Amino acid sequence: MSNDAWTIAMAAVLGLVAIGIYGMLIVRNLIKVVVALQIFAKGTILVMVAAGGISGKPAVGQSLAITVIVADTVVTVMALALAIQVRRWCGTLDTRVISRLRR
Amino acid sequence: MVFSVDYLRGEEGQGRYYALVLFFIGAMVGLVLSANLLMVVIFWEITALCSWALISFNNDDPKAVAGGIKALIVTGLGGVGLLAGSLAIYAQVGSFDIPTFMARANGFPPRLLAWIGFGFLAAAAAKSAQFPFQTWLPDAMEAPTPISALIHAATMVNAGVYLLARFSPVFSGVPGWSLSVLAVGAVSAFIAATMAAVANDLKRVLAWSTVSQLGFMVYAIGAGAVFQSQFHLLSHSVFKALLFLAAGAVIHSVGTRDMRSMGGLSRKMPLTCAVFIIGSLALAGIPPVNGFWSKEMILGAGLTRGPFWAYIIMLVTVGLTALYTLRCVWMVFFAPAEDRHVHEAGPAMKVALIPLAIGSLVTWLLAGPFQALLERTLPLHFPAAVADSGGLKGTWAIASEVLTAPSTWIALGVVALGAFLWTVRSPFKGIGARLRPVRRAAEAGYGFEAINRGIMRGVQGMGEGLRSTQSGLLNWNVAAIVMAVIAVLCAVWLVAGQGG
Amino acid sequence: MISQWPSWIWMIALPIVTSPFIYLLGRLFQRARDASELKQRLQGRAQRKPWRANPVRWVSLAVMLASCVPFVAAWRELADGASLQFTVGIVALKFDGISLLLSAAVLVLGVLVSIFSGPYIGHESGQEKYHALLNAMIGAMLGLGCAADLFNLWVWFETAAIASYMLVAYHSDRAASLEAGMKYLVQNSVGSMLVLIGIGLVFSQTGTLNLAQLRTAIAAGTGSRPLLLASGALFCVGFGVKIAMVPMHTWLPDAHSQAPSGISAMLSGVVIETGLVALLRALSVLADLSSAWGAILLAFGAVNMIVGNLLALRQTQVKRLLAFSSLTHVGYMLLGLGFAVSFGQLEGAQGGVFHLLTHAAMKGLAFLAAGSLLFALRVARGDSGPLEAADLAGAARRYPVTALALTVALLGLGGLPPLGGFMSKWQIFASGVRTGSPVAIALVVFAVLNSLLSLAYYAPLVSMMYRKAPSDVVTSGAAIPTGMTVPLVLLVLVVVALGVWPALANGLTVPAGQVVLSIFSRQGGM
Repeated sequence: MSNDAWTIAMAAVLGLVAIGIYGMLIVRNLIKVVVALQIFAKGTILVMVAAGGISGKPAVGQSLAITVIVADTVVTVMALALAIQVRRWCGTLDTRVISRLRR
Repeated sequence: MVFSVDYLRGEEGQGRYYALVLFFIGAMVGLVLSANLLMVVIFWEITALCSWALISFNNDDPKAVAGGIKALIVTGLGGVGLLAGSLAIYAQVGSFDIPTFMARANGFPPRLLAWIGFGFLAAAAAKSAQFPFQTWLPDAMEAPTPISALIHAATMVNAGVYLLARFSPVFSGVPGWSLSVLAVGAVSAFIAATMAAVANDLKRVLAWSTVSQLGFMVYAIGAGAVFQSQFHLLSHSVFKALLFLAAGAVIHSVGTRDMRSMGGLSRKMPLTCAVFIIGSLALAGIPPVNGFWSKEMILGAGLTRGPFWAYIIMLVTVGLTALYTLRCVWMVFFAPAEDRHVHEAGPAMKVALIPLAIGSLVTWLLAGPFQALLERTLPLHFPAAVADSGGLKGTWAIASEVLTAPSTWIALGVVALGAFLWTVRSPFKGIGARLRPVRRAAEAGYGFEAINRGIMRGVQGMGEGLRSTQSGLLNWNVAAIVMAVIAVLCAVWLVAGQGG
Repeated sequence: MISQWPSWIWMIALPIVTSPFIYLLGRLFQRARDASELKQRLQGRAQRKPWRANPVRWVSLAVMLASCVPFVAAWRELADGASLQFTVGIVALKFDGISLLLSAAVLVLGVLVSIFSGPYIGHESGQEKYHALLNAMIGAMLGLGCAADLFNLWVWFETAAIASYMLVAYHSDRAASLEAGMKYLVQNSVGSMLVLIGIGLVFSQTGTLNLAQLRTAIAAGTGSRPLLLASGALFCVGFGVKIAMVPMHTWLPDAHSQAPSGISAMLSGVVIETGLVALLRALSVLADLSSAWGAILLAFGAVNMIVGNLLALRQTQVKRLLAFSSLTHVGYMLLGLGFAVSFGQLEGAQGGVFHLLTHAAMKGLAFLAAGSLLFALRVARGDSGPLEAADLAGAARRYPVTALALTVALLGLGGLPPLGGFMSKWQIFASGVRTGSPVAIALVVFAVLNSLLSLAYYAPLVSMMYRKAPSDVVTSGAAIPTGMTVPLVLLVLVVVALGVWPALANGLTVPAGQVVLSIFSRQGGM
């Protein structure tokens, strides 16, 4: 992997992470929060692949990325399951409305 | 303990009570006997813990709970000084052994030794309810009266004096230390006496008088008179325990602690009245009771070794002491009052009161042996002895010295003046009215209560304010994480920029 | 091949491997019971005899006790000076002093929580999930303690986190616990993604993930310094979310107060400390790069102490109060470890890990005791509300042992002798003063003052319990099952024993402290 490719990958990572975080800062709907988290996670997966490339160990990088994808999927599934329960018991997905625990 | 049997009869939680009292006594003994600073800190904190648990023993009373926590926090605040000082000693010496420290203290950097010295002074002042930490002791009077007698008059509050006495040879070389100790003692003695003179709660009067008497002891240490201080400590333990237990008997039978609603008890409770008067004589420093001898010795030492202004303060305090003691006795036992049913103290209470009364009358005879004992065990403290020989002969030597010293007669004169002022108080009503602002200030604790409350409110307000940052909103929480990322990145970048 | 595995691997493998089977067993039992009850009801007969309790709790406990056996064996070997390493492919595990200490805390608390949880959730239908997840979480934490490469560390970390998300949201029909679970999940995921970016950056610069190799490579100056520094910052914040460093702490009070009490004990007692261990391991590879790490730990420690105390000061719910006090105690640990990292103080490292141990015991005890009371006063009566401080009034008369246990825990947390918390704090303070640095001494004084401040909210709770006039809920409270009292008594003994005889813990804290110091010792000259 060339240095240019690494730079491009890092720029993409920054973009994905920024979009993900921006999403989590402004979005209220729980499903959208999960989507934002997913965008963020895609950025980290890209880091892994790119890191494998630049360090000359693409196989390791890819195996790391696959592991991350698995873990990330599990988390997402659980987040969606929780969102379903939230919808069922709170009647809404708006994080502002369900946020009762404070102070 | 014996007294408690009658006092607490029919109350719940006695198991807890006695367990805590025994735990406290164990810790107190450990504190005094230990030659290891770590153990001293541990026992120091345990006594605070027991004191808190026993003050708020009656947990249903919010005043008791508040008083207990106040005692815990205020003494703990001073305890920071002891803890930090001990750690500094450990860092320097490499061990917690007190004799090792005392032997090697000369090799310490002077500034460090000064910090340690003032840390210990803060700890002692907090524990002994000295200025500016005095406010917790009167509030601690919500405790059952035997506890007040045991912990807050006879033992725990003396721990501070003990600490100062024990380490005084090391710190007396620190510039300003002795003078600070002396000033703390004198100021505490004086303001506590004024507060005792205006308080209407019997136990609060006794509490302020305890602070005042502890001030005498601290003053004595500041003047370098360790023996006199320790001897007053002994006398004070005996007569103050007596006063507290007698007061407890009164409170138990009358059912109130307000002296304005007492009066005329001398006929109903003759024994209690008699022992209370003995205790009062000792407190006021009237011969031949033990308080007289020890207090005169302190004043004698103060006149010769301390600065003159402090001596004057102490002298005024002696007069005030006589005044408030007389006021207290009069209000409780002799003031005219309507008839009501009260009963004399129970048998177990009597068993506890009588030996203490006898003790108040005779412990001064022990002065000689006590001094010999101290000299033997604490050689560092006594370059020059007050009397040459031990035993009863020593007592006689001390007694004659006290009787011939000029300070004794000055002090007695002031005592008489104080007593006189109270007896013929009617012509002075005008002055009394003009002194009303002072009186009000004394009742309000000279603003120290306000400071305490202010700090407490401030901290609680901060807590309450900070709670609004816990918004519970997911967006904000993520925002906090992002801000932390930025902050830490900046910090790392800054440190790296400085070549770290 | 399996026969060649060293025995201590089973300590990690046992809970994880058995976890699905525990679930399966519990599920099958539950179905059989439901079917039998349905049949009886259809036949119109009254229940002849109630079914025995679900055996899943005993199986779970047995598994945990079984993993203690290889742990003890490993302890012996380590004490004999053996080096316990194990590698499969690129996955490297190593059992060292830190692993020893963390495993001890996790296993002891795990066993006790397992005993406690039996009766606590025994009447609920989802208990097989609970026990299976608890085992998985414990296995993952044991693995994390032993992880010897950076990515491996993250995998264990994430596994434990996933199990704990589900445990926090265990009561999936309660809005509050769902909310807490959701916040916990999102914030921790953000944290773990940050860690992952950090790992990626380190990997991209060095081409290796093994901690030991990384340490030498980075000390030799491999890689771009700014990127490595940035990854260190990401580790701090990412793991910091899990450790609940302020201001990443916002999930903690919700999750700790809404989780079932046994899980609160685990979360507060060992899970956040696991994050601390992970942070130490990850940061240690960057030790040569900058002196900032120790300072960062100290700064977060100071902020955590004061913010935790102030937030706890005005809380009225017992479990929420305890949750906030966890912030403070993390602050003490960070302080001790910060002294170790910044000044090379062995005592600081020992104090920090000792406080980890005593805090696990004390906070575990506090949450379990509060949980017992919550159970007796609320849960057993079908009330899912929180335990308010005012509910405790008069609890000491009806529940003397539980109240005493909570008292010991609270006073220990407040740092009063002769309890464990005093000794561990003392060691941290002593190390701080020994550094001789004015900043460190100021921090120690600040910490002591904070310790004092914390008494202002612990003491009223104790006073409340020893009131004479009982609250309404205490008067009508249910009995506390013996199974819930046994762990309390054992933990009280531990807390008191560590306070009276702190040298007892030396076998654990000394090796761990040495490891902390050695991994942070600078190899290269920067």
